[in-house]
Amino acid sequence: MFEELASMLMSMIPGNPLAFLTLFPLFGAVVAFLAGERGSRAVALLVTLIELVLALALMATFSPTFDPSEPNAGMRLLWNFVLGTMQIDSHTTPVQVYLGADGLSVVMALLSNIVVFAAALSSNHIERSRNLYYMLLLMLQTGLLGVFFSIDLLSFFIFWELVLIPMFFIIGRWGEEGCQHAGIKFFIYTHFGSAIMLIGFFVLYFASGLYTFDMLVLRASGLPIDIQMWFSIAVFFGAGVKLPVWPLHNWLPWAHVKAPTPGSVILAGILLKMGGYGFLRLGVWMVPEGFSVFSVVFAVLAIFTCIYAAFVAMAQSDLKSMVAYTSINHMAWVLLGVAVGSALALQGAIYMMFSHGVIISVLFIVAGEVKHLAGTRQIPEVKGLGRTAPRLSTVFILGALAAFGLPGFSGFLAEFFTLLGSVPVYIWTAFITLGVFLTVGYMLWTLNRMVFSDPDPEAEVHDAPLRDLIAPVLLLVPVILLGLWPDLILSMTAPFVTLVTGGATP
Amino acid sequence: MILSVLAQLVRTVFSPFTQWLVGNIPADWLGSVPVFTIIAFGVIALAVGQRTNPLPVSAIGLLLTGLETVLIDNDVYGSSFGGLFARSHFADLFIWIILVVGFLVLLSSTTFYGDRATFHSLLLISIGGTMWTVMATDLVALFLAWELMSMPTYVLAALGPSRAAVDGAVKYFVMGLLATVLMLFGIALLYGLTGTTDIAAIGAALQSYFSSPTLELSAVATSLLAMVLFVIAFGFKIGAFPGWMWVPDTYSSADGSLAAFLAGGTKKAGVGALMRIMIVGFIVVRLQWMPLIVLVSILTMLIGNILALRQQNIMRMLAYSSIAMMGYLFIGLAVGTQFGAAAAMFHAFVHALMKTSAFILVWALTVRLRRQVTYDELVGLSSRAPFASGLLAVLMLSLAGMPPTAGLLSKIFLFGSAIEVGMWWLALIGTLNSVLSLGYYLRVLRVCYMAPPEDAERLRLARGPLVAATLGVIGVLVLFINPSIVLDYANIAASQLFG
Repeated sequence: MFEELASMLMSMIPGNPLAFLTLFPLFGAVVAFLAGERGSRAVALLVTLIELVLALALMATFSPTFDPSEPNAGMRLLWNFVLGTMQIDSHTTPVQVYLGADGLSVVMALLSNIVVFAAALSSNHIERSRNLYYMLLLMLQTGLLGVFFSIDLLSFFIFWELVLIPMFFIIGRWGEEGCQHAGIKFFIYTHFGSAIMLIGFFVLYFASGLYTFDMLVLRASGLPIDIQMWFSIAVFFGAGVKLPVWPLHNWLPWAHVKAPTPGSVILAGILLKMGGYGFLRLGVWMVPEGFSVFSVVFAVLAIFTCIYAAFVAMAQSDLKSMVAYTSINHMAWVLLGVAVGSALALQGAIYMMFSHGVIISVLFIVAGEVKHLAGTRQIPEVKGLGRTAPRLSTVFILGALAAFGLPGFSGFLAEFFTLLGSVPVYIWTAFITLGVFLTVGYMLWTLNRMVFSDPDPEAEVHDAPLRDLIAPVLLLVPVILLGLWPDLILSMTAPFVTLVTGGATP
Repeated sequence: MILSVLAQLVRTVFSPFTQWLVGNIPADWLGSVPVFTIIAFGVIALAVGQRTNPLPVSAIGLLLTGLETVLIDNDVYGSSFGGLFARSHFADLFIWIILVVGFLVLLSSTTFYGDRATFHSLLLISIGGTMWTVMATDLVALFLAWELMSMPTYVLAALGPSRAAVDGAVKYFVMGLLATVLMLFGIALLYGLTGTTDIAAIGAALQSYFSSPTLELSAVATSLLAMVLFVIAFGFKIGAFPGWMWVPDTYSSADGSLAAFLAGGTKKAGVGALMRIMIVGFIVVRLQWMPLIVLVSILTMLIGNILALRQQNIMRMLAYSSIAMMGYLFIGLAVGTQFGAAAAMFHAFVHALMKTSAFILVWALTVRLRRQVTYDELVGLSSRAPFASGLLAVLMLSLAGMPPTAGLLSKIFLFGSAIEVGMWWLALIGTLNSVLSLGYYLRVLRVCYMAPPEDAERLRLARGPLVAATLGVIGVLVLFINPSIVLDYANIAASQLFG
C-alpha cells in the first residue's frame, strides 16, 4: 500500500526525480520571496513538506542493492546538465551539474529534508523580513541536496559552496548579539577548507591523466596511491572544517550559538553531515586505498576530538553552547567510523550522521525554547523546568537521553555499531567510550540542574506552546523508530558499505 | 552556439548594409570601420553636446559600432592598414568586452552633470583607441592606439566632481607617461635587435636567435630587458605590481562612470595587448617570463587583497579588489598554455562585467548621498534600497567567487590552469588569497544586510546606473549557467593566439 503510493508519487514527478528534488526548492525560493512577509512561511512549509514526502517516496521506491558488474557502482537516476566545456589541449571536459544517487545519498537526502522541514516549522519566531529568510532557507535546501546527489567533483563543489551563502545570511541577519562576527567566521573557515579541497579536485583531474571530474570514472580508474593520499589530505581540510575535527572546529561554537534556532538546527542537523558525507563519498568511496593510509591519524584525531569536546561541553554554562559542543563530540564518532573503515564501523558512522542529525535538532529547538520562555539559556539560572514546563521538559529529557545514547534510541545503536566495528581493528579506539561517560555525566547534570531542581519562585516560566513543540516531537519519531528498527537505514546503506569494503560482510 | 546563430541572423538581416560597406570602403580599411565609426560619433557627440545631452548620439554610435563589428566578418575582412591592425577572435573578444563596458558606462553616465559634450566625445574616442589597442599586431601601431586610448582618459579623470579628481588625474597622467616611455624604450630595443616592429616577426626572429647554436648573450639580455619593460609598462595600465599605486587614487576621485570604464575597459585592453606580446612575440622565452609573471601575479594579488582589507571607502576598496583580480588573471597568463589564456580571457570578460557594475552602483549611491560612500553609508542598505542592495550582494559574491555567479567559474578555470602545468602552489596561493578577500567582500554584505539601519529613509537611485548594474548582474548570472557563450569563443581565440 505504502510502496504503491510512493511509486505513484515518484511517477508524478516531471523529469528526473533527483533534478526535481534538487531544483524544486530553488523555484520555491523565488515564489517564497515574491509571496511577501505573510505568504512566505506558508510557501516554505508547503515546499519543504513536499520535499520531505518526495524524499520518503524516493527512499521507499529506491532499491539500493546492485550487481557488482553494474557500471555505475550502484548510482541510479543519473541526470546531468552541462554548463559549459573546458578545452584543455585536446581534451574537452564538461563543467556540469551531474546528479546520481545510491543508498547513502538517498539516506542523506531524507535526513536533510527532515531537518529543513523541522527548521521551517521552528522558524515561527522569525519576525524580521520573512520572505528573504524563507527564500534563503529554500536555497539552502537546494545546496544540500545538490551536495548529496552530486557525482561530479565540480558539481559537488558548486553546491558545497552554494550552501555557505544562505547560511551566512541566516546566521548573520537573524541571529543574536554577535552573530555577524560568527557568520563571517563560519564563512571564512569553511571557504578556507573548500579552497584547499578545490586544489585537490584539480590535482586529481590532471594527475589522474583522465581529464575528468566524473567521480564514477575516477573511482573506477584505480588511481595511484600517492595521488590518492594527496587527495585525502585535501578532502580532510574540506570536510574536516565542516565536520568539524579538532584543530578546525573553532567556527562551530560561535556559529551554532549565535545563529537563530532554525539556523542552529540546520547547521548541526545537516551542515555538519556534509562533512561526514564528504569523508565518505570523496574519501572512503573514491580513494579508499589512499584514505586508509591516514586511518590511524584520523582515528586518533577523532578520539581526541570526542573527549576534548565532551570536556569543553561540560564546562559550558550556556545550554546552546553545551549542545554545540555535544555536536562536535558526536561528529567525532563519524570520523572514527570513517577512519577505521570496517563495514560495521562505516555503518555506524552513517547511522550516527542520521541519528545525530535528528537528535541534536531536538536539543537545539529545546534550547531556543528555553531562551524564549525563561529569558536566558544559562543552565544555573533556569530551574525547575520539570514543574513549570512539563511538556518542554519531556521533550528535553527524551532528547538528552537520546543524545547520550540510551538503548532504545537511535544514538545508542550508532555508537554501538561504530565501536563494535572499530575495536577489532584498533583496540585502543575503545578509549572513545570515555567520551560517552562524560556525555552521560554532563547531560544528566544539566537535566538535574534545569529540569529536576526546585523552581525559582521569582522567575515566571510558562510551558512551551504546543505549536512550538510540533517540530521536536516530529523529530523524535525517527529517533525512536530507528532505535528500535535499525534496518530502515542499514538496509539502504549496506550495499554502499559492501562496495567500499570490497565485499566483506557487514 | 547561441551567439553564432544570432550573429548569422544579424548578418542576414543587414546584408545590404554589409554590401554597401564592402562596395564603398577600401578593403584595406574595412577591419577598422567600427573604430572609425565610434570616433566619428565621438566628434558628432561633441558638436551635438553643445546644445543638448549627447547621450542618444553616443548610444547610437556605440550600437552601430557593435553592429559593424558583427557584420564585418573577422575571418574575411580582419586585417586593415596593411595588417597593422587585425581583427581575430582574440581581438574581437576584447572588443566585445570594451563595447559591453562602454554601453554600461554610457547608461550610467546619466548621473554625470559636468560638461557632457566633452565627456561623451572623449569617452567614445577612448573606446575607439581601446579597440585599436587590442587589434594592433605591430608595436608602433600598438603605441599609437595606446595613446589614443589613454589621452582622453587623462582628461576624463580630471573631469571628476571634486578637486581631488585633478590630483588623481595628475597621478594617473604622470604614471601613464612613465609607462609610455618604458614601452617606447622596449619597442626601440626590440627594433634594434630584430629590425622589425611586427609582433609575429619579432617572435620569429627571437625564435631564430634562441635556436641558433651561437647564442649571443647580448641578444638574449636585450630581448629579456624589453620583455621586462613591456610587463612593467602594460602593468601600469592594468594596475598590476609595480605600477598599481595610481589605481585607488584615480578610481576613487574620478567620476564613477569613468572609474567603471578604466576598470572594465582600458584595463582589459592592457591585458589583451600584453597577452598578445607575451604569447605571440615572446613565446620562445616562455620559461624566462613565466617566473616574472608568476611573481607579478603573487605580489599583485597580495597587495590588492591586503590593502583592500584596510579601506573604509568603498570605491577604494573596489579599486584594490580590482588590483587583486588582475593578480588572479596573471595566473592564466603565467602558465602560458592555451587553457590558461582562455581562462584569463574568460576572467577578463567576467571581471569587466562585475567590476563595471559594482563601480556604477557604488557611484550611483555616492551621487545620491552626495558624499563618499564608506561602509557606514551602506549600513542598512537592504531596507533602504532593497533592489540596489541585492545587486550589490550578487556582485560581491561574484567577486568573492561564490556560486551561482560567473566569478566562481572564472576562478575555477584560472586555478585549474595553474595546476595543469604543475604549479599547484600558485593555485593554492590564489585560493588562499580569495579566502583573504572574503574579509572585505563579506563586510559589505554584513553592513548591507545585517547591521540595523540608523536611517530608515528610502533611497531612490538614478535609473540609468540601476539599469546598467542590473544588466551586469544578469550577465554574471547567465554566464554561470551558460559560460560557453564566452568560454567557447575564448577557447578559439586562445588557439588562434598560439597558432
